[in-house]
Amino acid sequence: MPGLRASPPAFLLLLVLVFPRGSPAAPGAGQELEPGSRSAVAAARVALHYGNFQARSLGGLRALGQVRKATLKNIPESGHKYYLQFSTEDYRTGEDAGNCLATVLYPKKKSPPVVSIKCSHTKDKKEIQEEDNRFYQRIRHQSKPITGNNIPDSYGNIEPALEPVWALAVAGSSSIMWEKSTETLGYFLAQVKSVRQWVRKDDFTEFDYTVLLHEIPTQEIISCHMRLTWLPGHPLKVKHFCASNADEGSGAESGSAAGPSAEKGAKF
Amino acid sequence: MKLILIFGALIGASLCLETFVGHQVLRIKTKNEEEVKQLQLLESLEHLELDFWINPSAPALPVDVRIPAASVQSVKAFLESQGIEYSILIEDLQDILDKEKQDMAESAQRQRSSSFDFGAYHTLDDINKELDHLASEYSFVEKIQIGESYEKRPMYVLKFSTGGSNRPAIWLDAGIHSREWVTQASALWIANKIASDYGTDDSITSLLNKMDLFLLPVANPDGFVYTHTSNRMWRKTRSRIPGSICVGVDPNRNWDAGFGGPGASKNPCSDSYHGPSANSEVEVKSVVDFIKNHGNFKAFLTLHSYSQLLMYPYGYKCTRPDDYAELESLGRAAASSIRSLYGTTFQVGTICKTIYQASGGSIDWSYDNGIKYSFAFELRDTGRYGFLLPANQIIPAAKETWLGLKKIMEHVRDKSA
Repeated sequence: MPGLRASPPAFLLLLVLVFPRGSPAAPGAGQELEPGSRSAVAAARVALHYGNFQARSLGGLRALGQVRKATLKNIPESGHKYYLQFSTEDYRTGEDAGNCLATVLYPKKKSPPVVSIKCSHTKDKKEIQEEDNRFYQRIRHQSKPITGNNIPDSYGNIEPALEPVWALAVAGSSSIMWEKSTETLGYFLAQVKSVRQWVRKDDFTEFDYTVLLHEIPTQEIISCHMRLTWLPGHPLKVKHFCASNADEGSGAESGSAAGPSAEKGAKF
Repeated sequence: MKLILIFGALIGASLCLETFVGHQVLRIKTKNEEEVKQLQLLESLEHLELDFWINPSAPALPVDVRIPAASVQSVKAFLESQGIEYSILIEDLQDILDKEKQDMAESAQRQRSSSFDFGAYHTLDDINKELDHLASEYSFVEKIQIGESYEKRPMYVLKFSTGGSNRPAIWLDAGIHSREWVTQASALWIANKIASDYGTDDSITSLLNKMDLFLLPVANPDGFVYTHTSNRMWRKTRSRIPGSICVGVDPNRNWDAGFGGPGASKNPCSDSYHGPSANSEVEVKSVVDFIKNHGNFKAFLTLHSYSQLLMYPYGYKCTRPDDYAELESLGRAAASSIRSLYGTTFQVGTICKTIYQASGGSIDWSYDNGIKYSFAFELRDTGRYGFLLPANQIIPAAKETWLGLKKIMEHVRDKSA
């Protein structure tokens, strides 16, 4: 093959020893990972998806900053567990939002990652609550049910009036992305394709969303339907259903989230 | 008639601009309170018409003052007699103002002749028009066609060449994945930057005096049009695949480098479908043929988004290239340059280690075909907006990316001299 040079076996052995390819060490011993490595960053992202969903707030939504420290352990009978320290940014403004400590366990059997996460705050609880109430009021004080398409639009714009609805989508789709994540499959929210509000008699807000998730490393765009209810201070309730391949003519690959993933054997 | 003109000119002159011919700006460094008081005394002498840019206040702070031509000698004599230290910031203020006016006129001239908004997203037609404009505006810029897309759209490359015959060359492409809009947009800004700075920027000038640059801003025109007309998230080409209802091949899995290996799909409906065979996509084949026929490329650089990564081979295998040390070091230097502008951090490493194992990629092909300096950039952001990066981030992204590219190009230039 062009470009390859024959290497003596000793040199190859040295390579293998110096650059372990991510296969975890013996049970019990933790392997230090490079903070910038893809598995560390991916695990941190999973932890944040979980954190964003569990936080039940829009004002406290965080984006990943930098991973500071990452360790990997193989837990026998359980799976691979990542221990992480990372910085975060406010999802809306990009300002520093404090640091988090998290663990992410990818189970051997097919189920969502087990996450524990604890974060420091740069915004105090009161500030976040006030922001949530502001978002809530903006949603409640519309004269008719909110609808929207393509948020952000093709040019990255988000109409100010639709910001609360976008923030809700981020929070809600975080639950989907956390659930679907595996050690080899990660997700980003690519776009809110559509949103429609259901008017309720009680204080809760309720929305139907179609969100597009960007799946790595397959590069697929996954279309998910999401039904979400929210009231500040209460847990976010999310029901979802994801198909695969948002583009037309891709063939019918609908069904549960488990379906498409099983097919991706060729890649990883 | 003449009298009226002369009279008019005199009135005009007296009415409008002051002139600052012979005015000097001094920076005075006071040593103690006494000296500060002396300067405050000077300040009070209105007939000197002194214009303090920084007023005397405390000994530790410098005092900047503009002095009209008529008062310069006497003020200096006073300062020297008091033993007060000063230095000349500006020898002749009018000179500086004249230069500034000239700069502004030139800039306005550039603005007028190019009404292209580099801080906005454009259609393919508008991009092609701007390529024509750049080629017509600069003698050393030429628009050439290297092939046609599947749907028969021309593939245009800008050639930057100040002379010579088949000089060692640098390749730069963008938009091979059509939904990565910040890349085509950045490529346009970069093209304009290089063209307009040749002759004034030392680095660009010395680069183009030794090497040629070939820039393909829209490597996947069919996909790009499709993202405008039908599906903003389209990634692949738009080729029809025999035996499938699905359309398109991932053009960055279609190169002849570990083709069909891990990290590419054999499913035509997949967004990472590698295609029926290597170079099956005319968009890929056109570039391959062009580069092979040229025969003297020293660098192959390609822009993607998003994730903020700066990568070198390999992607199709997870081992390091022979030139690992040099590429890693150069990559880090480039990432450092990028970070110096706005603090944006790019991760550096091989494709396999940094993003994922992926076969059939362009920089693996270029590297295995003798082009040592092969790098792939993933531009802003890290997922908040992803492909839908707001237009107000185009120019910052282009500017910081350009610093990274420049670092690499300078190294290539020095090694190819």
